[in-house]
Amino acid sequence: MPPDTPTTSLLRGAATGSDRLVLALVRCCLLLVLLLGPLPCLAAQTTETDSIAVLIDNAIDQQNVAAGITTAPQADPDTLLRRTTLDLAGRIPTSRERDWYLLLPAETRQQQLVDRLMQLPDFDFHLRNSLDELLLPERPNDGEFREYLLTAVRERRPWSRMFREMLLAAPADGPDKGAAQFVRSRVRELDDLTNDTAVLFFGVNISCAKCHDHPLVADWKQDHYYGMQAFFHRTFTSKKNLILEKPFGGVKFRTTAGVDRDAALMFLNGAVVTDATPSYTDEEKKSAEEQIRRLEREDDAQPVPVSFSPRQALIDTAIADQQQQYLARNIVNRTWARLVGTGFVDPPDQMHSGNPASHPELLQSLGADLVAHDYDLRRLIRSIVLSRAYARSSSWTSETAQPASQTFAVAVARPLTPRQLSASLLIATRSAGNWPAVDEVAAKPDEWQKRRTDLENQANGWMREFEQPSRDFQIAVDEALFFSNNDRVQNDLLRDGGDRLVNSLKAAETPQQAARLLWTVVCSREPAEAETQVVVDWFARVPQRQDSDVQALLWAVLAGAEFRFNH
Amino acid sequence: MSGKRLIPVQCGLSDVAGVSRRGFLGGTAVGVGGALAADMRAVNGLRAEEIAGELRRGEKHVILLWLAGGASQLETWDPKPGVKTGGPFAAIPTNVAGIQVSELLPKLAQRMHLTAVIRSLNTKIADHGRGADLVERGRLDDPGLRYPDLGAVVAKELGRLESTVPDYVSLYTSTEGRRKGTSGFLGARYAPLFLAENMAPPNTGLHERLTAAEHQDRAALRDLLSKRFTAEHRGSTVGSLNSAYQRVQGMMASAGLFNIEQEPAEVRARYGPTQFGEQCLIARRLVEAGVPFVKVARAWWDSHGQNFETHLELCADLDHCMSVLLDDLQERGLLEKTLVITLGEFGRTPGINASLGRDHFASAWSCSLSGLGIRGGVVHGATDAEGHTVVDGEASAGDLFATILQAVGIDHTHEYMVGSRPTPLADFGSKPIRSVLV
Repeated sequence: MPPDTPTTSLLRGAATGSDRLVLALVRCCLLLVLLLGPLPCLAAQTTETDSIAVLIDNAIDQQNVAAGITTAPQADPDTLLRRTTLDLAGRIPTSRERDWYLLLPAETRQQQLVDRLMQLPDFDFHLRNSLDELLLPERPNDGEFREYLLTAVRERRPWSRMFREMLLAAPADGPDKGAAQFVRSRVRELDDLTNDTAVLFFGVNISCAKCHDHPLVADWKQDHYYGMQAFFHRTFTSKKNLILEKPFGGVKFRTTAGVDRDAALMFLNGAVVTDATPSYTDEEKKSAEEQIRRLEREDDAQPVPVSFSPRQALIDTAIADQQQQYLARNIVNRTWARLVGTGFVDPPDQMHSGNPASHPELLQSLGADLVAHDYDLRRLIRSIVLSRAYARSSSWTSETAQPASQTFAVAVARPLTPRQLSASLLIATRSAGNWPAVDEVAAKPDEWQKRRTDLENQANGWMREFEQPSRDFQIAVDEALFFSNNDRVQNDLLRDGGDRLVNSLKAAETPQQAARLLWTVVCSREPAEAETQVVVDWFARVPQRQDSDVQALLWAVLAGAEFRFNH
Repeated sequence: MSGKRLIPVQCGLSDVAGVSRRGFLGGTAVGVGGALAADMRAVNGLRAEEIAGELRRGEKHVILLWLAGGASQLETWDPKPGVKTGGPFAAIPTNVAGIQVSELLPKLAQRMHLTAVIRSLNTKIADHGRGADLVERGRLDDPGLRYPDLGAVVAKELGRLESTVPDYVSLYTSTEGRRKGTSGFLGARYAPLFLAENMAPPNTGLHERLTAAEHQDRAALRDLLSKRFTAEHRGSTVGSLNSAYQRVQGMMASAGLFNIEQEPAEVRARYGPTQFGEQCLIARRLVEAGVPFVKVARAWWDSHGQNFETHLELCADLDHCMSVLLDDLQERGLLEKTLVITLGEFGRTPGINASLGRDHFASAWSCSLSGLGIRGGVVHGATDAEGHTVVDGEASAGDLFATILQAVGIDHTHEYMVGSRPTPLADFGSKPIRSVLV
C-alpha cells in the first residue's frame, strides 16, 4: 500500500459536521497542488493560503484529540489584536487601530487585520528585524546588513534567493552590498562560519561532530562537519574587504581513530559534490598564492580567477535538496517558533533523527508548500497567523497541568524583543490622538511611512537598554533598575507634554476615565473593574492629585508583566 | 535527563492574592521593607534567619584578584634565585617549613599557612585576549556555544535567586586589558555588575524627582497590577520579571556597600589609600553582605620591559592588600567561607629580554588559592631549574577551574543542558588538583 502523502493523511483528521465539507474542498485543492505543482495564480491571496491554516489546525488538533489534551479557548479579540500587531508590525496597536478593529465583523476580523498589517511598512521593518536578530545576533546595529534585509523584504525576494545572496557574498553596489555581512562577520573564524551556516540556515548544529562523531546523533559524523567546512575553507577577505575564494585547497582532518583524511564537499544529507577544481602545476599554485597574499595586503591587487566555487556548490546543493529540504524546513520551523513560541523541532538547531519534530508531517508539508511557492515567507507567515493554533489564549487558570509547549494547546507569553519593546514604549507613552486613524493611514501611506520610519529610528536609541530574549530567557535585574531609576525613563517616557499620555491622564475628569485611557492605550484593552478600583484608590490616597501620581501610575503599568510580554 | 540541571531555573510568583483595596500598599510595603531589613542585617555581619538551603547558598564566596597582563611567577610564587633566568630578587622562607616565595611578597610569606600555590599551570595560550578567555572560562568557546566565566558559574551555583545583593561584581578600573566578563549561555541574569569608571553601580540611585516613599509606593503599585497577569501566565520567563523588580530595593540598598566611607577610619587605613586596597575593602564588604563572587582587577603586569621595577611596585601592592584582606576576612570569620584567588591570563617567560623584560608565557606558571576549601601551606607541582617547563603535576586551565569549583563545594562534573547538549561545569576531562583541597 503506498503511504499517504503528508497532506492527505493530515486531512483525515478528526473532522466532524460542517468541517467535513470544508475539508473535502481543501483536500481537492491540495491534491490539485500536489498533482500540478504550484499554482501562482492562486498563491497570492484567499482560499489556498487559508487552506494552509486549516492544514496546521487539523494536524495539531488531531494529535491533541488523540492524546486527550484539552486546548485553551481562542484568545479574546483585544489580546489577538495586540499579539498579531506585535508579530506583524513589531509594535503594540495604537488605540485608534483598536477602534477600527473592534468594529470589524467577527468572522473576518483576523483576516482583515492581517491583510492590513501586512501591507504596512511596519511589516517589512519587523520581518527585517526578526531576520537580523536571527542571522547577525552579535551585531544588532549593522547598518549595511539591515539595509540589505529591508530591501530584500520590501521587494519580497524569496528566502532561497536571500540565502543565495547572503552566502554568495558577491561584490555588489547599493543595498545589496550588505548581503555579504553574514559571511564577512564570520570569515575570520572558519568554525563559526561553518557552524552558524548549518545552525541558522539548515537547523542543524554539527559542532559536536568536529572532534568526534556526534555522541548523541547518529546522523552527524566528522565527515559532515568537515564536509560543511570544506565548502568554506577557500573563503577569505581581501584588503578591500571583499569576500573572495581561493582557486584550490581543501580540508584535512584527523579522525578519532587517528587517520588523516581529506574532507569531501559533503552536504548534511550526505550528498557529495564533485570537486571540479582543475589541477594546477606547482608553478601556477605558487603564483596564485602570491597573488592571494597581495590581495590580502593591497587595495589594488587583481583578483585570482576561480573556476570552481565550493560556496556556490553549497548553495546549489542546499536548494536542490528536495528530499530533506533543510533550507525550507529550517525557516518554517524558525518562523513558527517566532510566532508561536516553540518550534515543531525544539531546540531549533537540532533537526535530526534523534530529536523528531512534534508534528513531522505538518513540518514536511509546510516546507513543501514553501518550496512550491517560491520560498515566499509572507505566505507562510500569513497562514500561521490565520490559524486557530496561533489564536489560542495564553492564560491557563485550570487546576490541571498546563499542556507541554509542543502541543500548541495553549499560547505562550513571549518576552518582547528589544525593538518591539522600544517601539511599543514610544507608542504607549504618546496620547491616543497622536497617531493617525486607520483610514488616514490608508489615504496617506507616504505620511505613515515617514512616521513609522521615525518610530523605527527612535526605537533604535532605546533597544540597547534591553536584552535580546534567548531560550529560557530570564529578565535581568539591570532592566528593572533601569526602569526604576534611569533618567531617560523619568525624563522622556514619563515626560509631560501636549502629545503625551501623561498629559491626557492629567486631563481626565475622573479616575475611571483615567483608568480607561491608560489601559486602552498601554494594554490595548478595557481595564478590569478591579484595576479601575486600584486607580480610584491610588488617586484617593492623597488629598490633591499631583503630576507625580499620574506618572507613577503610567510607570506601574508600563513596567508591568502584561506590557513586557507578547501574550 | 535526571541528574542534569536545566538552566536557568526560577520560580514564578505563586502567592497571588486577589486585589484587596487599600490594603495593597501596606501589605507590599512590608515585603519591601522586610527585604531591606534582611539586607541590612547581612551588611552588619549578623546572621539572618535560617532559611534552609537558600541561605546556605548565600554563605560561600570567591574573591578573584585578577593580575591583569600576566604576573611573573618568578617574582611571586615560583622564585628561581641564582640561575640565569632568576632575576635579581631573592627567595625568602615562609612560615611553612620548606616553602619559599619571592622576597617581593614578605607579608604573604608570613601567611603561607593559609595559601596553596600551584606552580605547574600549562595553559598554552600566550596572547592576552584568548589567554584570558581560556583562564576565565576554563576552556575556549565552541562554535555556537559561549561558555560562562568563573564568576557567572559561581553566581549561578552559589547565589540566591531572590538575592537582594548582586551576585557577581567585577571591579576593573584600569583600561589596560579591561574585560567585562561574560555569563555566556547562562544569560544576563548571571552577567557581572561591572564597575569600571565609577564605583557606584548604575541605576541604583534614587531619581532626584522621587522620594523614597514615592519610589516604593510606585513599585508596590506595579507589583499589584502585575499580579493579575502573572496569576494566569506561569513559567519562569514571566516569573523572572517580578523577581527582577523584587531585587530592585535590595540592589539600591546594597549600593552603599560600594561606599568605603562607611567603614571606620582604622579599617580604611589598614587597607591603605591605593585603589587596589580600596577595592579589596569593597570586596570584603560585598562578601560580608552575601555577594558570591567578586573580581578585583589589578593592572598592568605586562612587563615586556623593566620587569623587575614593575614587579617591585606591583608586588608590594599585592603583598600588602592581599595580606590585609586575608587577615580581615579571618578576623571576621569569613575566610573559612571565602576563597581568595590570585590569577592572571598567563605568567611570564623565564628568559629575560634585552629590555630587561619578561614576555608572555603560558607553559609553566603559577597561581594561588587561599581560604575556603583550600589546604594551606601546600605547593602543588614544580617547574624545571630555570622555569621553562612543568616537570611535575601539570595542570590545565580546565583543571584549575575544576579545582576552584570543588574548593567552594560545587561538583565540577554536574552538567547544564544547553539546548540538548549536556555541558559539564568544567571542561570534559578536567581533574581537580586534590592536593590543594581540604
